[in-house]
Amino acid sequence: MTGNARRSGPPWSVDLLADLHAGALDPRTEAELRPLVENDPEAREILAALDATLEDLHDLPPIPMPRHVADRIDAALADEARPTAPVIDFAQAKARRNKRLGWGAGFLATAAVAIGVAVVAIPQNPTAGDGGIAQEDRTSTPVAGSAAPEDRMPAVRGQNFGPVVGDVLKAQNYGPLENQDQLAGCLRGANVTAGKPLGVSPITLDDKPAVMAILPGGSPGAYRIVVVDPATCGPDNPDGVLANSVISP
Amino acid sequence: MTAAASSDADLIAAHAAGDPHAFSELVRRHRDRMWAVALRTLRDPEEAADALQEAFISAFRAAASFRAESQVTTWLHRIVVNACLDRMRRRQTRPTVPLPEAGPGEPVAPRDAMAERETRLVVQAALLELPEEQRAPIVLVDVEGYSVAETAQLLGIAEGTVKSRCARGRAKLAKVLGHLRNRSADANVPMNDVQVQQGRQLEER
Repeated sequence: MTGNARRSGPPWSVDLLADLHAGALDPRTEAELRPLVENDPEAREILAALDATLEDLHDLPPIPMPRHVADRIDAALADEARPTAPVIDFAQAKARRNKRLGWGAGFLATAAVAIGVAVVAIPQNPTAGDGGIAQEDRTSTPVAGSAAPEDRMPAVRGQNFGPVVGDVLKAQNYGPLENQDQLAGCLRGANVTAGKPLGVSPITLDDKPAVMAILPGGSPGAYRIVVVDPATCGPDNPDGVLANSVISP
Repeated sequence: MTAAASSDADLIAAHAAGDPHAFSELVRRHRDRMWAVALRTLRDPEEAADALQEAFISAFRAAASFRAESQVTTWLHRIVVNACLDRMRRRQTRPTVPLPEAGPGEPVAPRDAMAERETRLVVQAALLELPEEQRAPIVLVDVEGYSVAETAQLLGIAEGTVKSRCARGRAKLAKVLGHLRNRSADANVPMNDVQVQQGRQLEER
């Protein structure tokens, strides 16, 4: 017997015994082979060698992920979790505005690279949204601290919230609401419950002070934009919530 | 959410509900084991890092469609293993970079440190000598402790195939590691890819 034939007797085929060892043989062949193997020192020696090999493999230590790889993956996932930038869709905006008591929002979720979201139509200014696709220069200013004067706050005109989303996402500034609890109280007015917002910042909405918060939206890549009037909002005042819309990718 | 006590399934549900931190927590829980699988199957730290990043991003995007028919870990590990296998297929003919001798975080044994380390290096080097189709099931079953059934699921092959590939791989390793070195020449020791001399050279390294 030479070559690759599988010998079931001395000298044994290591292939055959390795199959037996791994449970890879059919039950009948295994049943026939077992007694032969148990009574043959050479076969037992091969099985012991396979056991020793397994032990070597089991004893290999764990390999913790290096810090720089973990950091890189964390950063990639953080990028992935960042909301994408929907671009306004006029037709949807108009339709939704009519449907939702004057508050309307329309979005075409695309892979647009610019940060821009249009959320609501202001009932007091129903024509303002029609110009919303053009991002007005004056709607975006850097986010300042809580004591920032109104002219330094992100400013929004009409329904065009898009240009300020990037700034708000970068901020954790509750402004006149001071803290997460007060914001949560205001959100309860619109039956919204949320933990820590992804971003929150005072803004001006048509020159009036407001606070805008961006929250997880209930599905991957989605987020909720809420704008509240800090002077009036609270758990019992739904009217204190000036805008409330979920953006889906 | 994302509390340490949350189950993997809770974290997936939280991720699907928009919790921006839930998926990262899930990754943190399992990344060491997946890193070991990726590194031991791909043999190249850079490629392993690329494969893992690709796999985790893919899982992040697909998580909303995860159904609790399988364990979260099995689902996640399958994505990782597939990413590794894809890379292995793509680079079939490319030379690989050997694992660093002292991997980051490689535990330093206080007793018999040198001897243990040498043994590990020999085993690690022997593992790298296996053909990829045998190395992947050996890494999953014999090193990482997955069951044959889990491994079959992860690799997308039949359980019998996992067993026979493990059998072939173990036989070769037994030879390379010297456990079968005294076998007679006509004993049909599998020698397809690994030569006795090569095995001895490995032992001597």
